[in-house]
Amino acid sequence: MPIQHYLFLSMLLFCIGIMGALMRRNAIIIFMCIELMLNAVNLLLVAFSKMYADAAAQIFVFFIMVVAAAEVAVGLAVIVMMYRKVHSVDINILNRLKH
Amino acid sequence: MKAIIAATIIGVVLMFTGILVKEKKGIATLAAILFFLLLGVNIWELSTLDANQPQAFFNNMLRIDRYSVWFNTLMTACTVLYVMLSGREIQKVGIHVSDYFALMSFMLVGLYMLSGYSNMLVLFLGIEIISIPQYILAGSDKKNLKSSEASLKYFLMGAFTTGILLMGITLLYGASGTFDIARFTFLQADSLNPMALCGIIFLIIAFAFKVSAAPMHMWTPDVYDGSPTPFTAFMSTVVKAAAFIAFIKLFHISFNSLSGHWTMIIAVITAATLLVGNVTAVFQQSVKRMMAYSSIAQAGFMLFAVLSISATSWQGLIIYAVSYTVATMGVFAVLMKLKDFTYDGFNGLAKREPLLAFVMTIFLLSLAGIPLTGGFMAKYFMLTAAVEQGQVLWLVIFALLMAAISVYYYFRVIIAMYFKQGSPEMSSPVTAGDRLVLVATAALVILLGVAPGLLLKFI
Amino acid sequence: MDLLLLATDQNTPFNYFPIALQLVVAIGFVIVMMVVTHLLGPKRRTSDKLINFESGIPSVGNARQPMAIKYFLVAILFVLFDVEVIFFYPYAINFAELGWEGFKAVLLFVAFFLCGFIYIVKKGALEWEE
Repeated sequence: MPIQHYLFLSMLLFCIGIMGALMRRNAIIIFMCIELMLNAVNLLLVAFSKMYADAAAQIFVFFIMVVAAAEVAVGLAVIVMMYRKVHSVDINILNRLKH
Repeated sequence: MKAIIAATIIGVVLMFTGILVKEKKGIATLAAILFFLLLGVNIWELSTLDANQPQAFFNNMLRIDRYSVWFNTLMTACTVLYVMLSGREIQKVGIHVSDYFALMSFMLVGLYMLSGYSNMLVLFLGIEIISIPQYILAGSDKKNLKSSEASLKYFLMGAFTTGILLMGITLLYGASGTFDIARFTFLQADSLNPMALCGIIFLIIAFAFKVSAAPMHMWTPDVYDGSPTPFTAFMSTVVKAAAFIAFIKLFHISFNSLSGHWTMIIAVITAATLLVGNVTAVFQQSVKRMMAYSSIAQAGFMLFAVLSISATSWQGLIIYAVSYTVATMGVFAVLMKLKDFTYDGFNGLAKREPLLAFVMTIFLLSLAGIPLTGGFMAKYFMLTAAVEQGQVLWLVIFALLMAAISVYYYFRVIIAMYFKQGSPEMSSPVTAGDRLVLVATAALVILLGVAPGLLLKFI
Repeated sequence: MDLLLLATDQNTPFNYFPIALQLVVAIGFVIVMMVVTHLLGPKRRTSDKLINFESGIPSVGNARQPMAIKYFLVAILFVLFDVEVIFFYPYAINFAELGWEGFKAVLLFVAFFLCGFIYIVKKGALEWEE
């Protein structure tokens, strides 16, 4: 399969992720959209890795996954901390910081 | 490399200190000693490094040269200064004091990686290592809702930018087949691969976010305002300098020959950053929030280093990073002593604490770029680099205009301290040790203004 | 014979033939067993049999309730430690080539891992009862 197909697919996923992250108001869903962006990148990296027959990109994918897991741990903890205070994960409440 | 190992071990040691030692003051003292040791390790590494022979580690993924080690040493010294200036305030933030210091140590690891990377993987890891602890530190004041909000906002925006950064790296890999920043092969091609151009634009967006340049600056005021004040001081100085060295390294080493494609984009970003930072700072009522906008404005000046590709801009970056860091840490150290962060809170400070008001004046003059302070020399180097390059003279004139505007909001604090009546409430007493460190910091600011060459001696 | 020769060739889809065969057998076995038990078993539906089975304890209330924060903490820690294991895959593939140098690196990795584990145990993150 030509590389363009993978490129289009992962760009599509990436754009869905960006649009979701910009348009949704629920912190968890925004977070899921961001994970979708990272997975689009992973897919593209693996496709390029196959194209160049170079394993470096696949190792890069491993690092992305691990760092994403660390980010999930911190991010979900922050979201839970917020939820316990205001009983909502709607990001409109963030506008309170602007005064 | 020695510094990376030492900082990692120090971080782990500090993590476990929190379990064994419960006394906050002891932990802060130990942290200060360990950071001093780390500074020693950096100096040791600097002295053993051959000036003309960069050392490579991890299959050439990390390449440490004289410049990067010197940058690390200076930033570690700034961290030591920061721990001495605001160690007591850090103890007040929450109960997990040892964890805060451990996270700072890990952030220094990220900084060392960013100053020495020569592979996109190390760039990505370095940026994440300095970002993830920041999300935690921003939300470390768990009782305060504003702190949690700042953390959540920073986290969502930061994770989003990570995605964009990674897409940029991936597209560059797709265009060139390598992650090594010195070997991007599309540089030799006559026509630029559209994939590579997209990648460069993605990277510009991601870096603009990390250094809080307009139009990706929206998170900065809220996050810096909501975070606990001592951590704002760290985030807006050392971390920002780390992001800048990563930025300049990538764009000067890898995309040097493509500068025609991105110079204009960065120039527009610089102009927007200067405009937004300076003009919005004028309208702020809280000094802490004003400092957040001021950090955006200063980032605008630092972007000149990326814009103009020359040896002067690398020297200017080091001078700007150090003088901005020292002055900002000083301002925050004084700010933390006060209860009220608005301009009115500073009314009459000169009568009550003349020394505090005096050193604060020096720090603010340096940030405004008045001659004989470090800030002046820093701005001078940046603008000289831009003039030498010669493409963006309009931007230099614009920057001078914006620097004039910045004088207004910095002087508002000085006027409040010296010419207005009032009795500022202090949040903690000013001890003799505080005075000593503050005076030393102010002296350092003046020294940088008189002899900036000291910072360039070891490159 | 022709088929077997094709299967040993590296660059054809036939390389995946054994996997496909195994998949077909596995899925077929499951489907056959499910259909057969469904047909052969006696059917007596009572209200006791239709409720959810919860280890013999009578089920109480709705499942979609707020959970204790402890579950969350353990789940997060599990994810972290689980994903880190990913680095063993590249090591396992290059086990022989990396030799003692690689072994030392992996030991160092595991040592950092253990540091984190000891840290969370000492912090009391895994203590279930307060």
